[in-house]
Amino acid sequence: MAQWEKILVAVDEGETTLRALRYTARMAAAMGDVSICLLHVYPEPPPDFYVNGGQLADYQAAKEKRAEMIFAQGERILFEAGIRPARVQRLVHLAAGRSISQVVLDVQKEGDFGTVAVGKRGVSKAEEFLFGSISNALARHSNRFTTWVVG
Amino acid sequence: MTDWSLFPPHILPKLRDHYAVKSMRRAPKLFGDTSNFTSIDYGDVLHVGDRYLLVVGYTKEGRFGIDEQPKQWVPKVYDLESGERKIAKLTFHETYTVTIGHLEVTCYRSPEKEARVIELVKGNPYFMQGYSSQDQAGNLVRVLDVIQGQRLDKHLENLGGTHREYFDSHCKKILSNFLESVRGISLLHAHGLKHGDIRRDHIFVDHADGRFRWIDFDYDFYLPERPFALDLFGLGNVLLFILGRKNFRPADILNDPDMGPEVFAGLDTGDLSLVAADRVFNIRKIYPYIPKCLNDILMHFSAGTQVMYDSVDEFHDDLVACIDRI
Repeated sequence: MAQWEKILVAVDEGETTLRALRYTARMAAAMGDVSICLLHVYPEPPPDFYVNGGQLADYQAAKEKRAEMIFAQGERILFEAGIRPARVQRLVHLAAGRSISQVVLDVQKEGDFGTVAVGKRGVSKAEEFLFGSISNALARHSNRFTTWVVG
Repeated sequence: MTDWSLFPPHILPKLRDHYAVKSMRRAPKLFGDTSNFTSIDYGDVLHVGDRYLLVVGYTKEGRFGIDEQPKQWVPKVYDLESGERKIAKLTFHETYTVTIGHLEVTCYRSPEKEARVIELVKGNPYFMQGYSSQDQAGNLVRVLDVIQGQRLDKHLENLGGTHREYFDSHCKKILSNFLESVRGISLLHAHGLKHGDIRRDHIFVDHADGRFRWIDFDYDFYLPERPFALDLFGLGNVLLFILGRKNFRPADILNDPDMGPEVFAGLDTGDLSLVAADRVFNIRKIYPYIPKCLNDILMHFSAGTQVMYDSVDEFHDDLVACIDRI
């Protein structure tokens, strides 16, 4: 079993991320000595990106700048709940050749995170089939760790 | 008066004698740069890589007979060295949105992706064959072998007979052939590539050996979390067509004298397509003699499903088990 007090929170720009962060903040504050990693995963650029003269370094720089803002917002919620800054870590990944949910699962495994928190958007079956659902993918593949799906 | 000195001497005999050139009132032009493909006309010659390709016609948009517009970026050509007929696909980048049900997906025409697929499937009998080469301006031109065959949907229609006769006499063989097509798509996915436009008219049945061959790989789409979902969706639609030999919209059933209100009344929204809700996937409500195991596969693509396929391999494994039991 992974270390349950190591919490990985998958974050993006959506409202559901804020709900997941607030939930995690309250749980973590009550639990005491936990560490939290905020993880932002962004997809590969679209197929026409390079044809149109795009540079991967520029794309990554823009995405990582955006991630900084997401992290800052997330940390604010955690710190207000009393989580010490030293217990919060940031990670940003490009999902190169992998889906976003697969990257989250890989980071969970590599970091031995016992708890993964994610917001739930609430999508239709058709949307889930075509666009996927990260929360459903995590819930389905939870094995030897706990997933908090915050709706 | 044609200035033949523009063309290399070794292709001149075939060029001068070809009916496309003889029948022209103007001199053929030589295009080393195919960027402006709308200016290339019948009887002109494309210089791609080390080949000279005489334009002898154009392919047409063939989507279920609705539009028969010539595709100027896909000329039929005659290789002036080998004497073989080929199809050339010139570089044409476009981005557009397709609407599937109430969802929108951004699609791309990607010559680069098609070139990668062609390279990967070289020698694989379940795919169209060809090669890619750059013209003088760096445009990626794909030169494809012509398949002597027929679109899958036309092939099934031409088998004739009632649905029951078709199902009893032909369907198992068709499914076995389709299984090879599914394996082909699985191969692409294992290499991180998509087909991009899986439809019943993008499988050609080869007259020579009856094999199913995939054609047209230049579409791509952007679904980062479910990159192969549209290919899976396409395979489900092709399987539905193979089993039913047509697609049934609820209104078709209501208006069909052999089915009518009785069959229509037995349908519910869970029987319709998961993504588009425009066709009936619960085909046993139309043809009760179709084995349950096949219907169960289709139901994973229906609005009523609780479990969706995540990969083509899952779809393939269910199909193998089912064909073995028929």
